[in-house]
Amino acid sequence: MTYVLQTLVGGLGMGAVYALVAMGFSIVYRTMGLVNFAHADVVMIGAFLAATLFVTMHLPFAVAITLAVLLTAVIGLGMERILRPLESKDLNLMLIGTIGFGIMLQSVAIVVWGSFGIAVPTPIPNVPIDVGGIIVTTYQLFVLAVSGIVMLLLYLFLDRTKLGTAMQSAAMDRSAATAMGVNVATSNAIAFAIGSAIAAVAGALVGPLLYVNPTLGVYVGIKGFAAAILGGFGSIPGAIVGGLIFGLIEAFASGPLSAYSELLTFVVFALAMMVRQTGIFGERTVDRA
Amino acid sequence: MTIENEPNYRKGNMQMARLRILAGLTIAALVAFACGGTAGTGATAAPSTAATASPTPDPIRVTLIGSFTGQNADLGNWMWNGVKLAVDEANAAGGVNGRKIDLIKYDDQGQPTIATDLTQRAISEKTVMIYGANLSTLSLAMIPIITAAKIPQITSGQAPALLQQNSPYIFIDSTTSVVFDQTLAKYVLNTMKINSIAMISNNGTYGKGEHDSFLAELTKAGVTPTADKVIAPDVKDFTAVLTEIRGTNPKVLFIGAEEVQSGLIAKQARSLGISATFVGAAPIGTPTFVQTAGVDVAEGSVMTSPYLSNDTNAKTKAFAAAYQKAFNSEAEFHGAKAYDGMSIFIQAMKKTSDLSGPKLIEAVRSITYDGLLGQFKYDEVGLGLHATQIGILKAGKIVAQ
Repeated sequence: MTYVLQTLVGGLGMGAVYALVAMGFSIVYRTMGLVNFAHADVVMIGAFLAATLFVTMHLPFAVAITLAVLLTAVIGLGMERILRPLESKDLNLMLIGTIGFGIMLQSVAIVVWGSFGIAVPTPIPNVPIDVGGIIVTTYQLFVLAVSGIVMLLLYLFLDRTKLGTAMQSAAMDRSAATAMGVNVATSNAIAFAIGSAIAAVAGALVGPLLYVNPTLGVYVGIKGFAAAILGGFGSIPGAIVGGLIFGLIEAFASGPLSAYSELLTFVVFALAMMVRQTGIFGERTVDRA
Repeated sequence: MTIENEPNYRKGNMQMARLRILAGLTIAALVAFACGGTAGTGATAAPSTAATASPTPDPIRVTLIGSFTGQNADLGNWMWNGVKLAVDEANAAGGVNGRKIDLIKYDDQGQPTIATDLTQRAISEKTVMIYGANLSTLSLAMIPIITAAKIPQITSGQAPALLQQNSPYIFIDSTTSVVFDQTLAKYVLNTMKINSIAMISNNGTYGKGEHDSFLAELTKAGVTPTADKVIAPDVKDFTAVLTEIRGTNPKVLFIGAEEVQSGLIAKQARSLGISATFVGAAPIGTPTFVQTAGVDVAEGSVMTSPYLSNDTNAKTKAFAAAYQKAFNSEAEFHGAKAYDGMSIFIQAMKKTSDLSGPKLIEAVRSITYDGLLGQFKYDEVGLGLHATQIGILKAGKIVAQ
């Protein structure tokens, strides 16, 4: 029982990070029907920015994460602006454009930070707290808390603000939304900026758990992408639930067959998708392509 | 995409857009290649300049294949620094019988497919020998190719499997996990007098070698590990296996993995409340391990290596000073063993006028070399060094025992 609960706690920590990454994928997809393949590398850039500001420049973690989020959001805006000419022509072209942009971000990371990577110490004293034999670390709680706040903010923005609602309408019917006075280009740009900002939060949080290097995006990105699909691609609640479930699958898979945990994780994922092709919240996804 | 029904002007736009995308992708790919493909010095340009300088004899081509990008880039750079220093010193002293050594650097990116491809390329470029790779898995993949081509290879890998390939052309520049773990297991069992030992190792070539060697020593002493957990080399979250290990309450945790993963294991083990002393081979002593785990977590860890410190003797002090001067960073084990390995090959090249593979390996085996790591004398399978020492991490530095 202790083992099950302990694994559950461990899985939720990484699961929260996957949920954040999945949300970034989903916000762009539900707004413009685009799978942003550069997203994984945006997470990596966010992680590097936060790590540099925190470790190298000795800024407080709160300041480092805020600056990293803002800078990464600007990168998201830049990416949308560069790829915008493709959006009105063919979304498939834009999709390929995001792949190219991702490769470029990885290369830039190698040029700027080198291939070594940065080991990030935990920003708060990482004290193990013993709860009836189960160890919960303060940093795990911190990750869950920050992720929770970000999720809540995004939900409030999309469902309770005018801009958020306008973005949803642009996603549903581009021309009708334009006729109603919604600026689709702005809507897309905001989606990219928000997606990138959340990616930076995920990157900043995962840095102290793992190790920040130019291939970090590959490690976290694929799982975040799988989590988004598991939850129902394009659905924000789906991204959250998918992320947490994916983290749990991974944690439990790494117990009995630890040497093949990655394989087992994706086999379970594939089986889940065979049972429910549209993902958990699949009926709400946007299909514009 | 249905282009047929589109008006003409739109088709034009579409083609423009395609062109733009293509151009964008090409540029991105070129950037990626420029950064990842041949990291560091302009390696491929070097031979052409050498060929035009006619009066001096042809240079001797030596190819180094290592990881300069990816998680194990530290290893590649340390290996490169050690080899580069040995080659530069030899060239400054007049080269090998009047011929300069032309050192070429290729980046395997930590990928076996790239490493084997680069090996083929190096052989087709008439390399005299290959230094690398720094990863056992990649070195293992290269052995059939160099054996067929009769080109000597000296690797920074340490897996016992490297010496079980039945090839006279493979050499390792330090010693194998078997030697490391014999020393380590004896220290834990006899000196620390602890036999409550848990093991965690990855199933890559290096990790498996560490696992098998250490477990063999425990079995020989009649000790069963409290837990024996195997993980995949690219996993970074170990909560589940560490939880199981914590349940067995070990006094010592043996870690058989590369630097970064070892550091992450140690860091996560402490945060889960495991208080065991960490023990392991050379990775545990590296700055990368200490940095990844944190100085506090690494404190008291026991490691074994043939090269514990730059202050061991006059030779290591001179090496460390030259290293510091050349690369503006502190010398350590991996650079030292690469320096030794390359120095042995340079000495062998000086000894034989014929640099063909069969003659060169004969010359290497005929040498007894007093190096930074100890005395080298290569045997039939390619093992040259037969002992290691024990060190303990104190405030992030190795203290010899």
